[in-house]
Amino acid sequence: MVKIEYLTPASPEERKRYYREEWDIKQVPDFIAHSIQEREFGFDHVGRGPNDRYKVFRTPDLLKRFLKVRTPFAAYCSVAFYDKPRRRDKWTKAELVFDVDAKDIPIRTCECESVCEICLNEAKEIVCGIIDTLKEDLGLNNIHIVYSGRGYHARVLDDDVTHINSDVRSQIVKYLVGAEVPENEYSLNYEKVSYEHFVIPFGYPNVFTERVKYSILHLNEHSNLDEVNKKLLKDVLKNRHLIEDNNWGLFKNKIGPLRYKKVVNGIASMNMSLVDAKVSIDLKRILRLPSSLHSMVSMKCTEVKNIETFDPFKEAVPKFVYERKE
Amino acid sequence: MVSVAFINPLSDEGEIIVRELGDFGRVLSDNDDLMQIVTGSRSQEISDDSFIPRNYIDLAIKRIEWFVKKKNDRNFDNNQYEFLFNTEILKFDVIAFYLLCQAVGVKYGPNSRESRVMVESQGKLIEYRLEKLPKNIREELVTNILNSLISSTHIKWTFFEDLISTKKLKLQDLILDQGEIILDKDDFLERFSHKIHGRKPGKMYEALIGDRIKELVMIKMVMQNTENYILKVGEKSDREIEPNPILLELADKISDVLATSVRSYGIGGSYSGSVKASALNPKAFPPCVKKVMEGMKSGGRNDAIIMFLTPFISYARLYPSVFSENITKQISDIDPSLLIVQNEVLPLIFGAAERCTPPLFEDQPQDKVNLNAKLGFGMHQNPDLKNEGETIWYTPMSCEKVKIHLPSLCKPDENCKKIGNPLSYYNMMIWKVKKEAKTESATDNTE
Ligand code: SF4
Ligand SMILES: [Zn+2]
Repeated sequence: MVKIEYLTPASPEERKRYYREEWDIKQVPDFIAHSIQEREFGFDHVGRGPNDRYKVFRTPDLLKRFLKVRTPFAAYCSVAFYDKPRRRDKWTKAELVFDVDAKDIPIRTCECESVCEICLNEAKEIVCGIIDTLKEDLGLNNIHIVYSGRGYHARVLDDDVTHINSDVRSQIVKYLVGAEVPENEYSLNYEKVSYEHFVIPFGYPNVFTERVKYSILHLNEHSNLDEVNKKLLKDVLKNRHLIEDNNWGLFKNKIGPLRYKKVVNGIASMNMSLVDAKVSIDLKRILRLPSSLHSMVSMKCTEVKNIETFDPFKEAVPKFVYERKE
Repeated sequence: MVSVAFINPLSDEGEIIVRELGDFGRVLSDNDDLMQIVTGSRSQEISDDSFIPRNYIDLAIKRIEWFVKKKNDRNFDNNQYEFLFNTEILKFDVIAFYLLCQAVGVKYGPNSRESRVMVESQGKLIEYRLEKLPKNIREELVTNILNSLISSTHIKWTFFEDLISTKKLKLQDLILDQGEIILDKDDFLERFSHKIHGRKPGKMYEALIGDRIKELVMIKMVMQNTENYILKVGEKSDREIEPNPILLELADKISDVLATSVRSYGIGGSYSGSVKASALNPKAFPPCVKKVMEGMKSGGRNDAIIMFLTPFISYARLYPSVFSENITKQISDIDPSLLIVQNEVLPLIFGAAERCTPPLFEDQPQDKVNLNAKLGFGMHQNPDLKNEGETIWYTPMSCEKVKIHLPSLCKPDENCKKIGNPLSYYNMMIWKVKKEAKTESATDNTE
């Protein structure tokens, strides 16, 4: 494999070739194409951020002409819908989005500088977990997954959530990533009963258990968790096979209840960085347009039809990369 | 049977009571029935006339007073307010509730401190009232009210969007499945029994949902409806010419009660009362601020210093009670010569900026301008009185915002559970730290 040639920036000529020869308007997903006149588009022509904003296209054909002529460094489209997108006026609704960027995952088992196969895979696992919770707990189903070039976007278009405000969105993020340790003591007619999160197989405690499991299984000896010292980290690593088999009670005993509490506290506060919450609460965000080229890494931003089998190194590599000289 | 309106005055039963009142003028005249119920309430303290409300308006004030004093006054005596928990007071209580909402709505609107206190006091009152009822009556009442507030057994979580948005309910506190909130026991058992191993599903239901969540949901819904009602009153009064003078007078009395509490009880319970501006005590900083003070080693140093630390340090030093006083000020209102800013505030911020890797401000003069802007001194290099007001003095970020914009900073400790803003943490702790220091120096003179 010529791995080194992947993930390097695309030249202006390569961009031109991509948009003129490879790109096709049909690759723009329907969930965008069908609402194209309600969305704002933004472009980055030189690689310094999307400065060309407030663009509007009445039909997919007009977008097509623009991309083929301008072959931008990057193309974006709003998660928001407007009655008057040209002025970002009369906001009507916005997709609920979750952005998992492989390079920002708080614990990665790779040690790469930006992104690589390993952390991209980890980003995918995290997104899958989030999507499961969106479906099973929140009952949301109109979900589209997009490979962004450096990670994944989960974009939710269910009518139930497209109108909700930032405050509710931020609560959803916290729920999905497991940012708070659930209660473990409940009062019941004057007595207290204790249920650790891992004995509750539903609701938020269950989500939390899943996220903690993921995190513990991805720690390594260099990981940094608040309040968790080297010795404790070592014990966690030594005993984590118990969690792999869901023997949580045993694991907690081996670690000791107080130290267990430290571990889950540390993980909960780290979990908030699993997704970029700023993106989720922003009602007017623009996101990379699926089908467009991520010129920094020479990858296609692509809608993912089947996340289980999706391999970015097969499905998101533009042709010109294969034809690059060593 | 206890009337639903005792808990939810906005119910049909409550509305009937209001309609029966008839003449509005009566709310100010002495009411023997009311006084009789008050003095006849079990354990009611009657040694002083001032403990006994004489009319509807008095009763309304007592309702607010109870809440405010309970929260802030260390010498609070519940026996002075026993009548609030006597179910016989129902009719008077409902009227008092409506008077309060209308007074607050007309004069202050839904986004005021008065409105917040009114809504919170209603929530607390419900909690305590329920607690004093026998278990079976309490359950029945809660179920009845819930049924009238929620029409179907299958409730989507989005039904509670308002409650979640205003943080009255946390999504995590609800048990969700396929988008629905599980409240009913049979429904719970059907969905989850087969997944539960080694525990009794019935008991788990009682602990995790049971009466606790039902009550929580019910209380928060009544609170939300109270808030909505105040909003409605406010909107309607915008269209009216002359608000009723009785309501305006009541509104003034409500803010008097709040003001007195701030003055005389200070930081007892609500932590943010009349904290006076004084030299900073870094020992009382919350974990997030301590972390920035050590210097940021990785990303986000810009936001951490300028957006987060600068407002925190400046308000903690100059105007720590900003959230309870709720009055917008400029720095020069407190520090007219800007000496404190120059000698105490900026050095702390610059110190933290220097400890960052790489240090902030060294290469980016623009950052200094941004910092100045956050203090209210416009887009200039240094704070100067002649530019003050060109920008606004940013208030400190809430914990919620910190968690979103600078997630790596928030490392909550035990004390964080009680607050929603790092500044409140500071106000609470500065008081504790002082007390500890006092006891230490009293018991230990050897050092
Ligand atoms: S909870 Fe609030 S005060 Fe505590 S560390 Fe987090 S942001 Fe700071
Ligand atoms: Zn990697």
